[in-house]
Amino acid sequence: MKTLHALLLLSPLCALVPGVAAALDWQLSADMRLVNSDGQRSLFDGGLGTLRYDDAHDGLQVGRLRLALTEPLGEVWALKLDGSYWGQDETHSTGLTEAFLEYRPYPIEGWRARVRIGAFFPPGSLENTAAGWSSPYTLSSSAANSWIAEEVRTIGVEGKVEWLGTRLGHDFDFGLTGGVFGWNDPAGVVVATGGFSLNDFQTPISGYIGARGSTVFAERQLFREIDNRAGYYVGGEARYLDRVTLLALHYDNRADPEASNALTGAFAWETRYDSVGVRAQTESGWTAIVQWLQGHTAIEPDEQYLRWRFYSQFALLSYQRGRHTVSARYDEFGVDSGAPADLGEEDGHAWTVAYLFDQSAHWRFALEWLHVTSEVTNRALLLAEPTLAVENQTMFSVRYTIGSGM
Amino acid sequence: MLGWLVLLSVTAPVFGGAISVQASLADHKPFAGAVVTVQGAAAHAPSAPMSAIVDQINLAFVPDLIVIPVGSTVEFPNSDSVSHQIYSFSPTKRFQLPLYHGKPYPPVHFDQAGIVTLGCNIHDKMLGYIYVTDAAYFGRTDASGAWVANNVPRGAYHVSIWHPLLRESAASLERDVTVGAEDSTKVEMQLTQPLRPAPLQTNARSRNQY
Repeated sequence: MKTLHALLLLSPLCALVPGVAAALDWQLSADMRLVNSDGQRSLFDGGLGTLRYDDAHDGLQVGRLRLALTEPLGEVWALKLDGSYWGQDETHSTGLTEAFLEYRPYPIEGWRARVRIGAFFPPGSLENTAAGWSSPYTLSSSAANSWIAEEVRTIGVEGKVEWLGTRLGHDFDFGLTGGVFGWNDPAGVVVATGGFSLNDFQTPISGYIGARGSTVFAERQLFREIDNRAGYYVGGEARYLDRVTLLALHYDNRADPEASNALTGAFAWETRYDSVGVRAQTESGWTAIVQWLQGHTAIEPDEQYLRWRFYSQFALLSYQRGRHTVSARYDEFGVDSGAPADLGEEDGHAWTVAYLFDQSAHWRFALEWLHVTSEVTNRALLLAEPTLAVENQTMFSVRYTIGSGM
Repeated sequence: MLGWLVLLSVTAPVFGGAISVQASLADHKPFAGAVVTVQGAAAHAPSAPMSAIVDQINLAFVPDLIVIPVGSTVEFPNSDSVSHQIYSFSPTKRFQLPLYHGKPYPPVHFDQAGIVTLGCNIHDKMLGYIYVTDAAYFGRTDASGAWVANNVPRGAYHVSIWHPLLRESAASLERDVTVGAEDSTKVEMQLTQPLRPAPLQTNARSRNQY
């Protein structure tokens, strides 16, 4: 019933489909999971587990129902909408994860400009390159990119300028990106409270994270404006042919850590991070990705400046042959608490091994094993449980996709 | 390091010569698909214009490289079910085909010699080339790296080869040859740099993207 409810919520998007212009591109997919997990209560259930599915959520689960539309508006503008339903556990988890206008003027003399206006993921992930910001290598994203998907979104405007050297006979392309945004002041509250997790959930723009009534992690909206100060990010990209890509990003939501919402009491979290990553691909089907992310988040209640430094890094190795993709990833992550009693301190690492079989453009079958070891002080401080948790999750996924492009 | 060896031999029968080009690697592997043009030092009529087609299939230009005489036209049908938006910012021919499916636009006229780089404003990985030439003789080397022009009148000619993945400077890829009373002229070219790696194939990782 909840699945049906979710589809009904997405129906305003579907209603656009029958009367569309010929150039409309659309894609609809359903990802069903068979899950075996011994994980602790997850973030989505108000707990401090690091997995998407905890031991109370074994069995058949909805991974993601997704509808994406690209509607051209004239020659060089397009409206892009990406809506998803994420299953019954994630509170208020139906909605748009991205919705923006894109301006794509034709390149001139080797220079290309792009502008996005609306809500979208900032650049910086070399992992989440498939449709709907998903990973083509694994089911669960790395800890770094899981955190981005949970807490970070640009609601504003972004401009990008690229020099297309490879179109001019050179070996390199270069790009510079800058964004200005609002409505991301709560970013940081999740990592400071529960640390990092590894999943493929993306908080919808209007959605919540956490669970109603939870004393550890109550449901809250992440994409809100609290201090009326705009944040920004700047990034750079360099590509060697289509083999090696280097990405760097500096993000600062410029939140006022003293500010809080008068009604809800929610703080503006001063969050800054830097991210650098390299992806290399070979003709023989190998892909290697290394990404590093480091930053801090802080609040200042009662003139007491509390800061949590966080970092996350991973190395991924993937081999693709025909329709088969095998990937292994090692994640390291941690939170260094500056709060009393080391509230919110974390130290963890994870192994992910996945096999993906793209049977056709429509069907994808995937098997993933995820093993996370983490020490979180809040398990003892808030739940009176051991700080150390070793969690395992095995997922079998069947995804069916239809769309105008297949 | 790999280098390319291009061997040119020129033979001249009584009523005209046959210019044959053999392009090979330094390790004797053939150089297939190289564009060969032969221009006469004296006035020679350029080849007659033609009509060509560059299709768009599975997010790629098919073929990804064509050679056409000046004055030719090229049609750009889109056989994919997703929209494409074709452009060129090459000085030889600047043009744009707004977002489309199927075959809504008339052929594009190429009235100037040079290299045209094709791209899609929606799918950044799409890359194609049109080599527009005013040469009297032109073509591409076959799988064995060979190309032949028959019935070439006696005279002086400028032979050059080109490929989008070449790193060589243009000067090292050009030779002046004479088709005369002699039966043949042989030219060898030893290239000093390897080709750039070929673009990676479109795969499942981009299949669901648009």
